Amino acid sequence: MTRERLDTVLYWLLAAGAIAVALWAQAGWNNYAVRLLTYSGLYVILVVSLNIVNGFVGIFSLGHIGFMAVGAYVSALATYPLARRPATFPTLPEWFQSLALPYPVALLLGGAAAALVAAVIGFPLLRLRGHYLALGSLALLVIVEQLAVNLHPVTRGSRGLAGIPMLTTPLWVWAVAVVVVYVAARIKSSGFGLLLGAIRLDDVAAAASGVRLTRYKMSAFVVSAFFAGVAGGLWAHLVGVIAPSVFSYDLTFRVIVMLIIGGLGSITGSVVGALGLFLLPEAFTYLEGAGTHGLSQLLLAVVLVLVMIFRPNGLLGRRELSLARARDGAGPGGRLGARTTGADRPNPDDA
Amino acid sequence: MLRRALIFLLPMLIVPLAAAQIRIGSLYNVTGDMSSIDAPGNNGLRLAAKLINESGGLLGQQVEVVTVDGQTDQTQLTNAASRLVNVENVVAVAGINDSTFALAAGPVMQAAGVPFVIAGATLPTLPEQIGDYAFMVPFGDDAQSFAIVDFAIDQLGVETYYMLYDQAYDFTLAVREFANQRFAERLGAGALLLEDSYQSGDADFSSQIARLRALPTPPDAIFMSSVPSDAGNLVQQFREAGFDQPILSADGFDTPLIVEVAGDLSDGVYFSTHTSLSSDDPQVREFVAAYEAEYGHPPENAFAALGYDAMMLIADAIRRAGSADPAAIRDALADTQGLDLVTGTITYAPGSRVPTKSVTIIGVQGGEYLFQAEVTP
Repeated sequence: MTRERLDTVLYWLLAAGAIAVALWAQAGWNNYAVRLLTYSGLYVILVVSLNIVNGFVGIFSLGHIGFMAVGAYVSALATYPLARRPATFPTLPEWFQSLALPYPVALLLGGAAAALVAAVIGFPLLRLRGHYLALGSLALLVIVEQLAVNLHPVTRGSRGLAGIPMLTTPLWVWAVAVVVVYVAARIKSSGFGLLLGAIRLDDVAAAASGVRLTRYKMSAFVVSAFFAGVAGGLWAHLVGVIAPSVFSYDLTFRVIVMLIIGGLGSITGSVVGALGLFLLPEAFTYLEGAGTHGLSQLLLAVVLVLVMIFRPNGLLGRRELSLARARDGAGPGGRLGARTTGADRPNPDDA
Repeated sequence: MLRRALIFLLPMLIVPLAAAQIRIGSLYNVTGDMSSIDAPGNNGLRLAAKLINESGGLLGQQVEVVTVDGQTDQTQLTNAASRLVNVENVVAVAGINDSTFALAAGPVMQAAGVPFVIAGATLPTLPEQIGDYAFMVPFGDDAQSFAIVDFAIDQLGVETYYMLYDQAYDFTLAVREFANQRFAERLGAGALLLEDSYQSGDADFSSQIARLRALPTPPDAIFMSSVPSDAGNLVQQFREAGFDQPILSADGFDTPLIVEVAGDLSDGVYFSTHTSLSSDDPQVREFVAAYEAEYGHPPENAFAALGYDAMMLIADAIRRAGSADPAAIRDALADTQGLDLVTGTITYAPGSRVPTKSVTIIGVQGGEYLFQAEVTP
């Protein structure tokens, strides 16, 4: 068997393992542990999908959670209990009052809505570069929040939507997580991924070599937004209540920190970062006592600083958990793909 | 990751060893944006538990309060709720001062069959939306709105009014709705001369002021449905524009900001709230003294008293139930009648988990927040 085949087997084993753990959790785990498992999976989806844009293409997007919000609201509206619709959404038209969609359809609809927003916003936004793009994407986050706050008839404004049916289970979340990782891995090891890498390394040179920048950046942006939208739908049906304040800076930076600590451009790193930076702070809260609330956040800050000192390119850099790592070559998994743009610091310990 | 999983499973093994105590969960946002009202709430709750223990405990056992911080974050809060219920195995959970957070955390307690005593959120439909294990310590926004309107009509002789409300919050929208309803019930539809709105955080109210000034006859009172952060600015700008009428509001005006920002202009501001910490009522004075003795400073706001009352409410239910079983506690809570607490007397009408409770009206005079009346609407 070639090493690449070994990697494929490894992926499928891990995927099967994740699904098995999810099923086991649903069958008998303590509710608290089930929650932790479910949230972990949600963060994996968010971080891996963000990596497609921020890591593979090198675009620093801060708007990811805006897409999540779109998916959350759309899917929540789709599954909102019919009996409560007249009271909650009195002004919405008749067709809405009688249309309840099944959960999977609602999730896909949420993802599609987010992807649509990305497609529309992408055209003006992705022409920008560097810091301007980052701020532009932040504007997207703000705009989505303002729409959520002001479109009272649809979103109930700042009050948010409560009473969303709690349909999310660990199986749903980890099934989507497995799919996201698969999609990201396929992108990374394909010609498409190669072109994204070229754009990341030097978009001017890439354009001069005939790479259609807009098309490729848009594709990555839309795929990433789709999964963020699905994650939003899963989130809404996990907590049962969403409000504009949920999809804000705190969540944005939490996900970005997970991405960077894990390693920008590394899918394995995203999974590790998401799991680690969700479970570790939770573990730290057990150290808090009557007078020491806030200690967990302090400890987390210390951990982040230490990681940045000793592993400035994140825990995994651009590498993957891979048995085929030793190969040389132009692929994103090999040496050339490990180089970073001028904005990042050089990484001496890249493969 | 397996090791991390074990770390979480570990507390589940240790906790049963400590079963000789009655464990109560304190669910508050001790850190983060809500900490200014939640930290005092947690302090009040823990103080009550301490005093209970000093006078012999409950059913012969000591009360242990487990506080898990929500960090003013929805994920953390719901995880904290789950931890209290599923890992720490508490028999009741008390806390939370915000309705949106209450709605997020409530289902966790409801699903686990653990009573959830909401300390400070005032949305009257909370217990209905969450389920039969949710109880409110404070009155609902309907009660406090009715109370301030009744006070204005009966004590201040108000016959016409102007309504200004914040569009951004469930709370302010609810207060507006209930206040309008009460005014219409008692004075008829013609009492409302003009209604206007703003968005929380707006710095300038000159357009609303201009529209008010354009009225042919000025209203007897100005009703402002707002949250604490806007209260000071609203009062200052309207007073500076020359409006001397009484200004009315709900507990969103229970903030030192009114006097801090509007200074002398704050005379004639009246609002409904949970308790007046400067009241002469012996229970209030006792609470304030105990809080100061324990924490070195007087209670910061009424939410400290609400946290204290939440614990006392649970303790009373446990005593009457004669058991620390969550289902028994729930039933005993539902039967609470005439329980005298710092923030008022709590009675749950059959089938309702929002208390019929008296509302305190406070008036600002000479820079002081003075008790005016206690109204039971």
